[in-house]
Amino acid sequence: MRVRGVAHAFAGRPVLAGVDLDVAAGERVAVVGPNGAGKSTLLRIMATLLTPREGTVAVGGTPYPEGVRAARRRIGYLGHDPLVYLDLTAWQNLRLFGDLYGVDGLDDAVPDALARVGLLPRAHDHVRTFSRGMAQRLGIARMLLHSPDVLLLDEPYTGLDAQGSRLLDGIVTGASSGTAVVMVTHDLARAHALCGRVVMIARGLLAWDAGTADVSHDQLAQRYAESAG
Amino acid sequence: MTTFSMTDTPRAGRAIAALGALSAVLLAVATFGVFLVAPEDAASGVIQRIFYFHVSVALVSMLAFMVACIAGIVHLRRGGDGSDDVSLASIAIGLMLAVLTVITGSIWAKAAWGFWWRWDDLRLVSFLLIILLYAAYFVLRGSADESRQARFGAVYAIFAFAAVPLSFYAVRTARSFIHPVVVTSKGADMPGTMLVWFLISVVAFTALFVTLLLVEVQQRRAARALEDVKRRLEARSATPTGGH
Amino acid sequence: MSRVRQLRALVRKDVLLEAHTKETIVAMALFALVSMVIFQFAVGQRAGDSSLIAGGIIWATVSLAAVLGVGRTWVPEREQRVLDGLLTAPVARLTMFMARAIVLTLFLLAVEVVIVPLGIVFFTRQIAPSDLALMAGVCVLANLCIAVAGTLLASMSVFSRARELVIPVLLLPALVPVVIAASGATQAVLGPGTQLAEYLGYCRFLAVYAAVFSLVAYATYDHVLDD
Repeated sequence: MRVRGVAHAFAGRPVLAGVDLDVAAGERVAVVGPNGAGKSTLLRIMATLLTPREGTVAVGGTPYPEGVRAARRRIGYLGHDPLVYLDLTAWQNLRLFGDLYGVDGLDDAVPDALARVGLLPRAHDHVRTFSRGMAQRLGIARMLLHSPDVLLLDEPYTGLDAQGSRLLDGIVTGASSGTAVVMVTHDLARAHALCGRVVMIARGLLAWDAGTADVSHDQLAQRYAESAG
Repeated sequence: MTTFSMTDTPRAGRAIAALGALSAVLLAVATFGVFLVAPEDAASGVIQRIFYFHVSVALVSMLAFMVACIAGIVHLRRGGDGSDDVSLASIAIGLMLAVLTVITGSIWAKAAWGFWWRWDDLRLVSFLLIILLYAAYFVLRGSADESRQARFGAVYAIFAFAAVPLSFYAVRTARSFIHPVVVTSKGADMPGTMLVWFLISVVAFTALFVTLLLVEVQQRRAARALEDVKRRLEARSATPTGGH
Repeated sequence: MSRVRQLRALVRKDVLLEAHTKETIVAMALFALVSMVIFQFAVGQRAGDSSLIAGGIIWATVSLAAVLGVGRTWVPEREQRVLDGLLTAPVARLTMFMARAIVLTLFLLAVEVVIVPLGIVFFTRQIAPSDLALMAGVCVLANLCIAVAGTLLASMSVFSRARELVIPVLLLPALVPVVIAASGATQAVLGPGTQLAEYLGYCRFLAVYAAVFSLVAYATYDHVLDD
């Protein structure tokens, strides 16, 4: 995944001022930064939810805005909300998104996905009856259903129960070697533990980019504090 | 983003002043001709003279809505603030002219038939629909986020202009489809001198439209430039060190 | 092929949501019914022969109910916070638009199944079975018109403040031609003696209306949903 010169503004106020970021297949990158630094905006642009004022994003060979539909097929996005319908059952939700993504063999894929997040016993219950954590787990199943090449996670741990957090940890670290993960998070410790790289966004710019292998968590926290000012 | 260049302001200002003067002269000539030179209509007398303005204003408002639609198409294709300014200003002016059409038409109806309103006066009824259609444009813009106003405005300018002929036609067939009300005959058979004064008033109102359009567009550009300067000043005072 | 599959999935999704909550159609039908009663007391009472205004009352009623239906478009996505999920899916915006329009057509049809027969019973003396078939034709055509115009306008007000105020103001002026033509066609059927030529003329007008706005929607829809 390749981000080039992405800049964006809301109502004339610049939020991102030209960000470049490369994420290789299989790489796990955490995006950190103070509130309002533009990290969520960056992720929404990468997830095709926002068209940047300037710059391009590409997944594999397809840069967008132009090749947006091919790119969408390869991206799995999870935000603060699980992005599933509360008034549909878990099964109906996955069936719907499976159809939208053109997933083959849904009759097997849906129960497999539900089993993976521990929701198979509740498959035919409406999501409105689920706890927040269960809904978020269904969101994880929805995100993984079409086997995306890139997972884009925006504060995915908010609202997740202990079981879900463990599950997501496993998915992030155990993602198959071809799957890249980009995760926006506040949680520096988790970023350090799970991701191979930490990228700091401050005032709309990429402040620094560090591998976690040769930096301790404390060093990371110190650098964070320095650039957050 | 369009940058506001200081150099073209005086030139734009001069063009607007010239056009404004031209419209004023044309309107004066048209008023003079319509009231003092054009022959009096034998059947309806002096009140018939309002008809020159009534129909000219109606035609120019349609022209304004067409300009708004074209500017909307340009905006969707190429983006940019300029086409949105043109679209917005055209609809504002067109709406004003449509209201004028209904007012003059109503005066005409009062004088000719003794009532302020007739549902079988097609121009009156159609323009009432047009006013409702285009007034909604401002409701839509007012309720949309700032980042979407221009885009939605453009889509609606196209949508509404597509609705115009359908509304005109539907109004004609409101009583019967097979025997629609024919185009009203008033003015259909104009003697040559009447036609000349009629055309002059159409040109006069067109010039007025173009003048108002330029003023409005220029005004919006200036407002945006001011906003830009303010924002840059704010940004500078936020980082007093001056470095990036 | 995948487009058809996506379209079917989106339509099924809205039907399932409606089947579970039963919010929209019930509200639309009740609203239409009460509007019909209001029209009767406001104007029908003093019109000597109410069969002369039956078509008008039916379609004024349906157009008001349509405001509710159009207003509900995209509401589950907003209330249940799924919009981002749909927008990140690889679905052409046109497919989403068509799914919305189809669902709205179906909802309106469901309302008309209740309202039109009731209107006929309330306001006319008798009706031939063949006239019912003609009425079904008007309903389908008028629903297409309402659905196409309504879906386009609704998609612009998803993101707006005070959408419940914006939608009637946007939708109803555009629907006036539809009300004129649909009432005309209905009157041609329900009025004294079926006037086939009138009926067909109005139906043709409805078809042209639907075609024109389909073109407008086709040309502009991408700009409505994408940022």
